Amino acid sequence: MTDGDYDYLIKLLALGDSGVGKTTFLYRYTDNKFNPKFITTVGIDFREKRVVYTASNPNGATTGKTFKVHLQLWDTAGQERFRSLTTAFFRDAMGFLLMFDLTSQQSFLNVRNWMSQLQANAYCENPDIVLIGNKADLADQREVQEKQAKELADKYGIPYFETSAATGAEVDKAVLTLLDLVMKRMEQCVDKPPAEPANGNGATKLADAQPNEKKCAC
Amino acid sequence: MDLGLLQALERERVLEVLRRDKQLRTIEEDRIRRMKYELQELRRRGAKSFARQYGERTCARCQRPLGKFWNSGAVCHSCSHRICSKCRVGVGAAGWKCTVCHAYREVKFKSGDWFLEEKAKKFPVTTDKYEMVGDRLLKTYHVLSHISVVPPTPPPHLDYQFLSRSGDLKNSKPFTKSMEDLMVSFTSHIKKISTSQNDVRGDLLRVNNSRRGSCYSTQKSLSETDINKSSNLFKGPSLPNLFKKSKDSDQEGSSTGAEEETSCGSEYSGGKRGSSSSSISTDCGPFESISITGELELALAYNTNTSCLEITVGACRNLNYGDTRRKKCHPCVKLYMLPGKSGKMKTTVKKNTTDPVYNEVLKYHVERHLLFGKRLRATVWHSGTLKRKVFLGEVLVPLDGWRFKDKDSQRFNWYPLCQKAESPEGGAVEQDGGELLVRVKLSSNNQGV
Repeated sequence: MTDGDYDYLIKLLALGDSGVGKTTFLYRYTDNKFNPKFITTVGIDFREKRVVYTASNPNGATTGKTFKVHLQLWDTAGQERFRSLTTAFFRDAMGFLLMFDLTSQQSFLNVRNWMSQLQANAYCENPDIVLIGNKADLADQREVQEKQAKELADKYGIPYFETSAATGAEVDKAVLTLLDLVMKRMEQCVDKPPAEPANGNGATKLADAQPNEKKCAC
Repeated sequence: MDLGLLQALERERVLEVLRRDKQLRTIEEDRIRRMKYELQELRRRGAKSFARQYGERTCARCQRPLGKFWNSGAVCHSCSHRICSKCRVGVGAAGWKCTVCHAYREVKFKSGDWFLEEKAKKFPVTTDKYEMVGDRLLKTYHVLSHISVVPPTPPPHLDYQFLSRSGDLKNSKPFTKSMEDLMVSFTSHIKKISTSQNDVRGDLLRVNNSRRGSCYSTQKSLSETDINKSSNLFKGPSLPNLFKKSKDSDQEGSSTGAEEETSCGSEYSGGKRGSSSSSISTDCGPFESISITGELELALAYNTNTSCLEITVGACRNLNYGDTRRKKCHPCVKLYMLPGKSGKMKTTVKKNTTDPVYNEVLKYHVERHLLFGKRLRATVWHSGTLKRKVFLGEVLVPLDGWRFKDKDSQRFNWYPLCQKAESPEGGAVEQDGGELLVRVKLSSNNQGV
């Protein structure tokens, strides 16, 4: 299925509590299908998708350059007993889809824990993350309000999306936003090699959550 | 549900995923290799070469002269070379880089090197990641001989219950750091969740954990030494064939008669004695002034599976008589890799013909990336009586720019035979072609002047 005919291999990883819909979210994204059955993920898995990325300059205008991007989307088990296995994979991912269930307050509360997991295990102290509230279609069972989630996302300085794997709403947008962040990070890292060592140094931490801070810790 | 059974299934599932990941990574590695190869080619083309004038007033990339006022060039911030306006590529809002630095930057993106570098800042990589293959081979081989816990043949690995399932993984050479880490965590994980392990396995796992590095490298080395072995095996039987008359070919270099000395050419003496000016052969001209005529038919292909450069010697035509008086010619073709003296190979000798047909495939075992900067030298010799050899012409084929993927370049080509390529200095310089940039600083203190 895969060949080497692409420009970038970008590895993203979905994480979050068990049952928030990571697998169905990725299934919707890669195959545009919905599987309502709950099948717990055993340890880890990944799906792939080829997308075309259009580069844009810092002003947001497209430069017209397009690249073929091969996405490797890692799916992790949310269950506690797989934790040591799944966190080992964090360090190989370039960006993260941190998901919670809009119909479960507990899964939202655990976002903080997942953030610290990321901080400890991801490739750098402040990796690119998007916060995703899934199951937006189940409006009547909703337990987490948009405002609440948005505030948390702002605190961490990361984008927030309310998605539905069932309807497909915002699914693509969430992934592509993360891809965009990773692509921008890439340029920052390469173009300013040792320029701002003071910024990295572990001083800026995720938990400190300095909103809208310049993100690259390189 | 039986917990043990579930875990076996789980293992199977996870390993299946890892195998898929491995496949993807193999493709990725291949892609990166290709990319870096192209970059290297670009670099070579754009490099300031000592043959050309190394001056401020030429563009470092295209070597075009730069004007004093108009198109005077500007310094690339990455490489500090002076670059003409045509060899710049815009980067970011207002900045630019020279073509080579730009390509380098692109490769850093596309190969994911940026990510590895970032990751290395947080999780320092063990040094062996940047080790050369040869060094690692040696080291792992060394380790292998000292570890009695791990038997030297792969099958006993089946003892490792969970590792044994990773048949593919085990044979995978580029066991990345992350995979190792994963395996370790996986091991410990399994240890944690399955309490019904028997002691032996627990021990094995512990060994696995404590000897983490060595254990994995052993596995690595297993596959690599296997490869090594097989390549040795391949070399073993083929060497005698190729150098059936290795004796004569050895004699060529230090042959007795003056005739041979000259016919063998200055490159030998040059290569053997360096550029010593006392080289005899360089002073002698071609002894038997046989005019070089004819052509040689060659086809080159690179077999990535066996890491072999396969040179098919097709035929020669319109050769001159090696023995002009008796109108006789027993031609054979010899191949060398330049620079260096390695990879001397030769075809059989065809009797009494000036249009010999060989169709022999000569294999040169070399890693693909080591072909950079190499040239294939194919010489045609008349094999006379008493092992006298007469030079009938040669062909030099540069291998760097060779498009092995290209079907056209894999076909047979006729190359006109030439006189020996000799530089005025006497061949030695030509043979060891390379670059050396020297800065000489005169310190008056040390000179005592």
